[in-house]
Amino acid sequence: MTPGTHQLPSAVVVDAVDHFFGEGDSRSQVLFNNSLRIEPGELVIMTGPSGSGKTTLLTLIGALRSLQSGRIEVLGHSLAGLQKRDLMAVRRNIGFIFQMHNLFDSLSAFENVKMAMQLSKCRPSEMRRRGTEVLERLGLGHRIDHKPRMLSGGQRQRVAVARALVNRPNLILADEPTAALDKDSSRIVVDLLKELSREGCTVMMVTHDNRILELADRIINMVDGNIKSNVVLRDAVRICEFLRTVDLFKHLTPIEITNIAEKMMLRRYRNGEIIIREGDPGEEFFLIGLGLVDVNRRMAASEEKKVATLSAGGFFGESALIADQPRNATCTAASEHVEVFSLGKADFRQALKASASFKDQIHSVYFQRQ
Amino acid sequence: MDVAATTTSLVDIGRATLARPSFKSHGSTRVPLAWRNLLADKRRLLRSITGISFAVLLMFLQLGFRNAFLDSALRVIQSIDADIVLMSTTKFRFGRKDPFSRRQLYAARAAEGVLSVRPIYGEWMTSIWKNPETQKTYNAQVLAFDPDEPVFLLPEVNQHLQELRQPDTALSDANARRFYGTASAGTETELSRRRIRIIGTFALGPDFTTDGTLILSDRNFLKFFASDRLAAGTLADVELGAVKVQPGYAAEEVKQSLRQLLPGNVAVRTKAEMLALETAFQNSVSPVGPIFLLGTAIGFVVGMMISYQVLYTDLSDQLPQYATLKAMGYDNAYLVQVVLTQSIFYALIAWLPAWGLGLLLYRLIGDVALLPMHMTFGIVIGTLAITIAMCAIAGLLAVRRVLKADPSDVF
Repeated sequence: MTPGTHQLPSAVVVDAVDHFFGEGDSRSQVLFNNSLRIEPGELVIMTGPSGSGKTTLLTLIGALRSLQSGRIEVLGHSLAGLQKRDLMAVRRNIGFIFQMHNLFDSLSAFENVKMAMQLSKCRPSEMRRRGTEVLERLGLGHRIDHKPRMLSGGQRQRVAVARALVNRPNLILADEPTAALDKDSSRIVVDLLKELSREGCTVMMVTHDNRILELADRIINMVDGNIKSNVVLRDAVRICEFLRTVDLFKHLTPIEITNIAEKMMLRRYRNGEIIIREGDPGEEFFLIGLGLVDVNRRMAASEEKKVATLSAGGFFGESALIADQPRNATCTAASEHVEVFSLGKADFRQALKASASFKDQIHSVYFQRQ
Repeated sequence: MDVAATTTSLVDIGRATLARPSFKSHGSTRVPLAWRNLLADKRRLLRSITGISFAVLLMFLQLGFRNAFLDSALRVIQSIDADIVLMSTTKFRFGRKDPFSRRQLYAARAAEGVLSVRPIYGEWMTSIWKNPETQKTYNAQVLAFDPDEPVFLLPEVNQHLQELRQPDTALSDANARRFYGTASAGTETELSRRRIRIIGTFALGPDFTTDGTLILSDRNFLKFFASDRLAAGTLADVELGAVKVQPGYAAEEVKQSLRQLLPGNVAVRTKAEMLALETAFQNSVSPVGPIFLLGTAIGFVVGMMISYQVLYTDLSDQLPQYATLKAMGYDNAYLVQVVLTQSIFYALIAWLPAWGLGLLLYRLIGDVALLPMHMTFGIVIGTLAITIAMCAIAGLLAVRRVLKADPSDVF
C-alpha cells in the first residue's frame, strides 16, 4: 500500500487537467496541469482574479464541459469520455448556484424550486413539503407563491439557492452565490451551505466575498490557469499553531509561517506504516498533526532500536534535507490514526533562504541530534 | 428586509427539507412550464396572438374564397334535375358554349332504363343584357328549356312555366350582381338588342365568371339566339341533355346503355361525374383555384414566420433559464417538448379569434360579393390542423436556439 493513500473516496479528484478554448490559431490554453482533491463534506472557496480559470475548472467539475485532457472524478464517476447523456446524469447529483438567479419569470418561487424536484421524481405531497421547508429555511416562507418579478434581487437569489439545495445534492457548485445578497441573506445562505457540508455534502464556491472566507474548509487560489495555493484552513491553522509552539519556528513572522503552512500537504497513516525509511533519499520534511510516530535507528548489529516517540507538534525528516544525505532513521506510525504534514525539499530549502533565523535554528536542531 | 426569523432548526431542515427524494414517477406533478411561459407576459401574448391570428384569418379567407369559387361554379349544375347528363365530348366546363345535335337526345330516349331526356340550351357569348336602370350592357348566362319538360330544381322557375311560354319573356336571377340592375316581374329591358320582359325571378347567384343568369323557354331562346334555325324549322343544337332514369334502374347501368347507343362526340356522364369534371377544371385548369391555394400557402408561411419570431424571441429572452435547466440535468427531449407544447398553445389560442372573425367576415363577404362563403367543417378542421402544423414547425425551428444553449455559459 502506498503510504498516505488510504483516505475515504474523494468527492472531487482533478488530476493533470489542461483546458483550451478556441481552435486553430485562436486556440488558447486556460488551464495548465491542475490537480486537486476535495474530500466529502468540505466547503471549498475558490478565489483568484478574473480569467484565472476558476470558473472553467468549476464547469469541468460540474460536467458542464467536456474534459479535454487529464482526469476528473466527481462523486466516484470519471468524467473522461462520458457521453452527453452520462454527463447529464452526473449533473443531476450536483446542485448549481449561478451568479445570475436564472429563474423563470413565469413560475412562482415554489414552482422554480419544483423544477429541480421534478428531476428526482418525488411524491407530490413530499414536493410541497420539501419545497416549502427549504424556502422557509431561506427566509422566503411568505413568498412561496410569488413570481420572481415580485421579489427583490436577494430573494430571487435565495430562491435559486433553494432550487439547488432542495434535492440535497452530494456536490454543490456555486458561482458568487452571495454577490447579490445583503449581509443577513448572505449569512443565511452560507449557514445552510455550511450545514450541508457538515452533513457530508461537498460545496465548491467561487467567491470574492471576504465575509464568508472564515467558513471555508479549504481555500483554492488560482492565477493564470494554475492552482497557486490549495490550503485546508483547518490544517493550516493547526500547522501554524504547531509551528508556533516549536522553538525552531518561533522567530518566524505570521506571514512566513502561513506561507510554509500553505505548502504543507496532509498525509494519513495507519499504525505500523512506515513514513520514511532509513537509508532512503530525503525528499520531505514532516510535522506531526495527530497521533504518535516512532523513530528507529539501525544499531551496530543491524538491529533497529527505537530512539524516540514523537507526538503532535513534533517534526522529523529535516536532517536529510539540510545535509543532502540519506535518511538517518526510520519513522513509523505508532498510533491508529496518524496525520502528518509534509513539506517538499524545494519548499523547505526556500523557507531556509527566506529566514536566516529559521535556518540557524534548523542547523542548531540538526547539530543537536548528531 | 424580509429574512423572517424561523423556528426550524438546522437539524430539522437536514432531516425534512434535505431528505433523499423517493424515485417514483408522478406525471401529474410536473410544472406546466409551457403554459406558464405562454401566460407570463399578457401584453406580449396579445401581440403574438394578434400576429398569428392575422395569418390564420388570411388562410380562413383564402379557403373560404376557394370553396365559394367552387360552390358557385357547381351551383348551376346542382340545380339541374338529372341523373345523367349528355354533353359534347369537348365541353370542358359548364359555362363554355359547346353544343351538340338535338337528334342525339331523341336517340337517347330509346336507351333502356331512360325515363326522359330533356334539352337545355345555353348562351354565354352573344347574350348581352342591358341594365334596365343604367342602360349599361353586360354579358349574361342564358339558359333555356322546354316549359313542357321542366328541367331545373329551382322552385321559382317551375312556378312560372306558363308565363315563360309567352313570347319575349324571361326569368332573371334575383341574386345577380348589383350592376345588372333590379329586374323584378314586369321589368322590360333588352337582351341581345331585342326587347324582353321579366316575368319573375329565381335565386341562383353569380360565380367567378358569371355575373347574372336569365332562364328562357326554348322557343324564346331560339328566337333570340338561333332565329335562323327557328325560321328553317330545323332542330337547334342543345348544350346539355338532362336524362332521368326509370325507377329500378341504376344511373351507372343506364349510362352504359347510352354510351353504346350514342356517337363518340356525345359524352355521357352521371351528374356526380359532371360535378367532378367541373371541380377538376376549376381546381387544376382554371387559374383561380390554385391562386386561392397559393394564398393559403402564403398565409401559412407568413403565419409560420410570425410564430417563429414570437417563439424565437420568447426563447432568446429565457435562454439562461433553459441553459440552467440543461445544467440541472434536463435533457433536450424535455426542452423540445416544452417549446412544442408552447407553440401548440399559441396555435390553439390564435386560431380561436381568427375563427370568430372569419365567421363574421364570411357573412359580410357573402352578403357583399354574393358568394357562398360557408364555414364548413372541412375548413374548420383544416385551418386548425394547418395552424397547429404551422406553429409546430415554427417551434421546431425555434427550439434549435435552446438546444444550442451551452449550460456552461450560465456560470
